[in-house]
Amino acid sequence: MDFVYALVAGLIIGAIFGFILQRGRFCMNSAFRDILLLKDYKLAKAVTVSLAVLMVGFAIFAFGGIITLSPKPFKPIAAIVGGLVFGIGMVFAGGCASGTTYRVGEGMMGSFVAAIGLTVGALMTAGGVLSDVKVALQSITVGTKLTLFGEYDALITPIFMLIIGIVGLVLMFYFWGWSALKRKLDAKEPLIKTDNFVESAFKKGYPWWVTGILIGLILTAGFVASNGVVGITGGWMNISNWLTSGSLLAWTGFIIFGILIGAMVSAIISKEFKFRLPKEGLTLLKQFFGGLLMGFGAVTALGCNITNILGGVPQLSLHSILAGACIMFGSWIAAYFLFMWKKE
Amino acid sequence: MVDVTDTLDCSGDVCPYPDVKSKRKVKKMKSGEVLKIIVDYPLSAERIPETMQSLGHEVLSVDKTGTSAWEILVKIK
Repeated sequence: MDFVYALVAGLIIGAIFGFILQRGRFCMNSAFRDILLLKDYKLAKAVTVSLAVLMVGFAIFAFGGIITLSPKPFKPIAAIVGGLVFGIGMVFAGGCASGTTYRVGEGMMGSFVAAIGLTVGALMTAGGVLSDVKVALQSITVGTKLTLFGEYDALITPIFMLIIGIVGLVLMFYFWGWSALKRKLDAKEPLIKTDNFVESAFKKGYPWWVTGILIGLILTAGFVASNGVVGITGGWMNISNWLTSGSLLAWTGFIIFGILIGAMVSAIISKEFKFRLPKEGLTLLKQFFGGLLMGFGAVTALGCNITNILGGVPQLSLHSILAGACIMFGSWIAAYFLFMWKKE
Repeated sequence: MVDVTDTLDCSGDVCPYPDVKSKRKVKKMKSGEVLKIIVDYPLSAERIPETMQSLGHEVLSVDKTGTSAWEILVKIK
């Protein structure tokens, strides 16, 4: 990929992504954890909406020959161990890979420490002291590119993606959207309030369904622009390698810079930008430790929550589905022991 | 003017501590008492009032007091 193209496209797509992440408070740590902890399903619904949009989006561009789908090889042990460690780590870090990154842009210094932990953990696992552990965990591979419906097929897989995506969108609209829409229709309220568009688009948190659709669209655009899934962990590693070993900044690194800029602009506009520090020093250490776990988990499981859940699951990759389930399960384990066990 | 019984300052707290702390705090309070919750974390500023309402408490007000700073007043049911 051309350097200038990576710079411009990466920054633009990253910035829009960061803006949406901040407005939608889109974080899978919150999404998964709150199913268990607060019985709040809004962000989890946003995740499922974005998955359905991504399935349709990826399938359309794959049919058009614009992108080449590439589900990950199915490495069950790596997916389970990496996913669980990542899920546990994100609870300690106070945010998933994307959640941590956008919060850095909001001025949360604890998340900045978590991001450094993530980078260090990822580098340790990719080529450092933990690389042997990773290699051992990744040694078992089943099939080549297994999807939910057998081996990946350039024609059949996108058809399944399209069907599941459209059926999913219809079902979600019916179960989650219809009653609210009907209430508005009955009360003769305007469906979309246009008078305060600027206010709602730039200053307020987005409703979950808006966040879900926008995340789906921007990550589809990310796939089209780079012919590969957008990732977070790889981007932080790219920045680190650029700083310390002279390798060039690439698409993945520019995405990170874009997210930071987008989230910062979004937070400043809505008067939510402030440098903040946790009250207790121990919290910073916990966040760093959580970041390390996430870094190890992401490299072992062949991707963080964005690469696996929002990149691999829409391609129906069995590896990503297993890794995603383990990320969710890991976050539940950590949330249970941290916040629910022996609570009073 | 509302009589604030107790104040819970969650500024600087990492996700999801503001939510968890306020949930635990209101459990210990008596009916009719008013809790003031101070948060500087946007997600919690939106989520705490919703959680409190779903627990049956009355959210008296949510005020943005400054840059990324909110005060939430909750009356215990």
